[in-house]
Amino acid sequence: MTLDASATRIEVRAPGPRLPMGRKLTWNWLGVAPFFLFAFLFLIGPVLYLVAGAFQNADGAFTFDNIIALGSPNIVASFSLSIRLSLLSALMGAVTGLLLAQAVILGGLPVWVRTAFTTFSGVASNFAGVPLAFAFIATLGRLGLVTVLLRDLFGINLYASGFNLFSFFGLSLVYLYFQLPLMFLIIAPALDGLKREWREAAEILGASRRQYWQLVGLPVLTPTILGCFLLLFANAFGTLATVYALVGSGFDVVPIVLFQQIRGNVLYNPNLGYALALGMVVIMGVSNTLYLLLRNRAERWQK
Amino acid sequence: MKTRFPLAAVLTALFAASFFIVPLIATFYFSLKMTRGELGFAAYASVFNSAAFLNTILYSTVASLIAILIGAIIIVPTAYWVRLKVPKLRPVVEFVSLLPLIVPPVVLVFGYIRLFGSNSWLPLTASTFGTDILLVVGYVVLSMPYMFRAVDNGMAAIDITTLTEAAESLGASRLRTITAVIFPNVRAAIISGAFLTFSISLGEFVLASLLNRPAFGPYLVQLGQDRAYEPAALAIMSFGFTWGCMVLMQLFATRKPGQRWLPRLFTRPAQRS
Amino acid sequence: MSFLSITNAVKTFGTNTVVKGFDLAVQKGEFVSFLGPSGCGKTTVLRMIAGFERPTSGMITIDGRDVTDAAPNKRRIGMVFQAYALFPNMNVFGNIAFGLKIAGLGKAETEARVKEMLGLIGLSHLAERFPYELSGGQQQRVALARALAPKPQVLLLDEPLSALDAKIRVSLREEIREIQRQLGITTVFVTHDQEEAMSISDRIVVMNGGRADQIGTPSDIYNRPRTRFVAGFVGTLNVLKARVLPQTARSVAVGGKTVELAQPVTTADASGLLSLALRPESLSLTASDGRDVAFEGKVKSVNFMGSVIRIRMDVGDETLSFDMFNSPDLVPPSVGDLATAHVASRDMFELSA
Repeated sequence: MTLDASATRIEVRAPGPRLPMGRKLTWNWLGVAPFFLFAFLFLIGPVLYLVAGAFQNADGAFTFDNIIALGSPNIVASFSLSIRLSLLSALMGAVTGLLLAQAVILGGLPVWVRTAFTTFSGVASNFAGVPLAFAFIATLGRLGLVTVLLRDLFGINLYASGFNLFSFFGLSLVYLYFQLPLMFLIIAPALDGLKREWREAAEILGASRRQYWQLVGLPVLTPTILGCFLLLFANAFGTLATVYALVGSGFDVVPIVLFQQIRGNVLYNPNLGYALALGMVVIMGVSNTLYLLLRNRAERWQK
Repeated sequence: MKTRFPLAAVLTALFAASFFIVPLIATFYFSLKMTRGELGFAAYASVFNSAAFLNTILYSTVASLIAILIGAIIIVPTAYWVRLKVPKLRPVVEFVSLLPLIVPPVVLVFGYIRLFGSNSWLPLTASTFGTDILLVVGYVVLSMPYMFRAVDNGMAAIDITTLTEAAESLGASRLRTITAVIFPNVRAAIISGAFLTFSISLGEFVLASLLNRPAFGPYLVQLGQDRAYEPAALAIMSFGFTWGCMVLMQLFATRKPGQRWLPRLFTRPAQRS
Repeated sequence: MSFLSITNAVKTFGTNTVVKGFDLAVQKGEFVSFLGPSGCGKTTVLRMIAGFERPTSGMITIDGRDVTDAAPNKRRIGMVFQAYALFPNMNVFGNIAFGLKIAGLGKAETEARVKEMLGLIGLSHLAERFPYELSGGQQQRVALARALAPKPQVLLLDEPLSALDAKIRVSLREEIREIQRQLGITTVFVTHDQEEAMSISDRIVVMNGGRADQIGTPSDIYNRPRTRFVAGFVGTLNVLKARVLPQTARSVAVGGKTVELAQPVTTADASGLLSLALRPESLSLTASDGRDVAFEGKVKSVNFMGSVIRIRMDVGDETLSFDMFNSPDLVPPSVGDLATAHVASRDMFELSA
């Protein structure tokens, strides 16, 4: 439906005064103005402001100093930590989510199992942040239930053997609680999209179950899996509240560093803050864009 | 086809289920241990008796509700307009509505503080009220992707274009069409989006903390640093709350327009004359 | 000695018996169609041959070998699905080569064979395309080539044309038959379209409610239907109520006339009533030597359908439907005209239950 056609149609129907087509176009655009105004003022504007600020120094002149300062050892370490944690978390979530989805949807289990997991995943994927941190402290913290049970029932001293909830791996475990469900929710429809006929066609052509997965099933799923991985990566990268509630400000992932910059109000270099923000937006933007591209590719195949 | 017992699948499902449930059980158990030596709900009582809890919950609730309202007011007409008048702009609107997903809250609030700071062109952060506005606006922005998708799906399901044409061909004005025809039919979708927004906004931490507002999120973190058992109780309550919101969100998302709330208890025979 | 034989196959899902004792012997190189409405069990029998459903009881043998319990990937059968089921992550070449790759065929032989199949279906120029770039008809031809590439013993087709446009359906079914004849491969074809089945099959199995009502050549099925269902399902049929007359074993009163049937009456019920069927083409508005029965009635509708004009006329309280060939100097009757339909008594046959 072109704008022209709609404009003409409205002209014919509306009993009001006849306006030239140019006027009608303006009218139409006006309708979405509040939305764009709001988005610009409170979303795009602030972000652009930060992006611009990243390339300015304290006097407002154009400079690359802030970008270069991103290369300082602290900041690099911070980004490295964030990226490594996000990659690990995404990998864990992707693998476990796929295995769970495969088991629940294609594994011959009753339908209610799938429904239960889907419902729970809807909740769990939103249960990030402070309460999640509390829950894991109560479970695997030094006095957590599981820690105590392992010690009292099985004689395994968790913390003595090197495990620490408030560490890199501990965090990745906590992240898993919302990453696994997210992966499950997104990959489930993709598994549904694996047509039964493909498996049957492969089988009748002589393929074993393993060969089907290797030659047809996994290749078809790969764009979706990769896309999900990126989504999980971005999801982990932007997480702040969970980390803060769990390990306080001691764990220097990028969101925390920025948080501290803002919080401390010791922005002795606000422009560095801008650069950090820019770095975050770029990373999130790239991974989400790739996710969308991969998702489109997957949809095209499964048409 | 032989029916083998799906051992691998069962084990996987059990493993995943325990991973999900054990923390909840542990937290619940932990929350009952406040009174030394016995299991009781002392932690919960302590939470509910705390003024800080009540105040912050109230504050966050109000902020969330206002955010839902503003969100609905901005998004519903936009979604309607885009479907009806300017479908060409649809990809743009959709893209913008998804942008909040790539802007982490910490970046967003940083932008607010700089752009609307004390010595900026619109010093919202200079006043408490202004900061409150920023917080609410922030919630609207964070919930935009979900709100837009919920409303958009709801409108897609009822073919808004045809409904509008039908209403107009029967003589209704645009406003009348919106209030009498469109809105009732997307009401459920809006409520569905509202529950999701509510669930996101209530315990939100980053925005509230950096804008220094007495919301529930920062209260939770503070409590986590000060107390041991109350946080566990709050975690359980929070989980239950999220669950409730999700259930209601689903319920409203799948409601057909005009579906009854309660089952028909008495059937009235159709009037003959 | 039949090449593919199904003996007393029964399939029950829970309490529902979908296939109730099915027997069939297919000769090598024969093209057999399963014809019937939805739910008659034809697809289930096909899937039992393929191995996707295990018969609750009964036996299936191919080339003397009992395959009833064999896994689908061990039966050396080719199958074409209604939804094409081409693998989306492979191009046309990859799809056709799939079965050969599984069988471990070398690269050179695979390539030669795939090229051969592409030539057979006439799509050599599309070898690099992916399924989503192909039309429905093209996809189905690729599916056929894929099924035939590994030289299977039996070819199964599960309503392969149902998802295609009408014109493509007609041309593609001819193509399928032609390829089948060329390769001489034993084929089972499932369809609900009787025209499709009749035009390309050596034999047709008409199925109804889990059973085979009749197995025979298209001509047999059409001209000598054994049950009312077969008569009604295949082609159009006029059914008239008739009453036995005491004069001879073959006399009946029908449409106000007394008629001597070709065979003695066998299906009359207790009160002497029976049903007689006539094919539309046995009726005509023009009298001729062979047509000894004349039904008088009023023309109810005249539908111009191009090469054919379909006429329905009321005879008493029943309706006769028949066609006349269109011709420039022909003046068809008008609605409401009185007309006479002539038919030969030997073209009227009884319908058993």
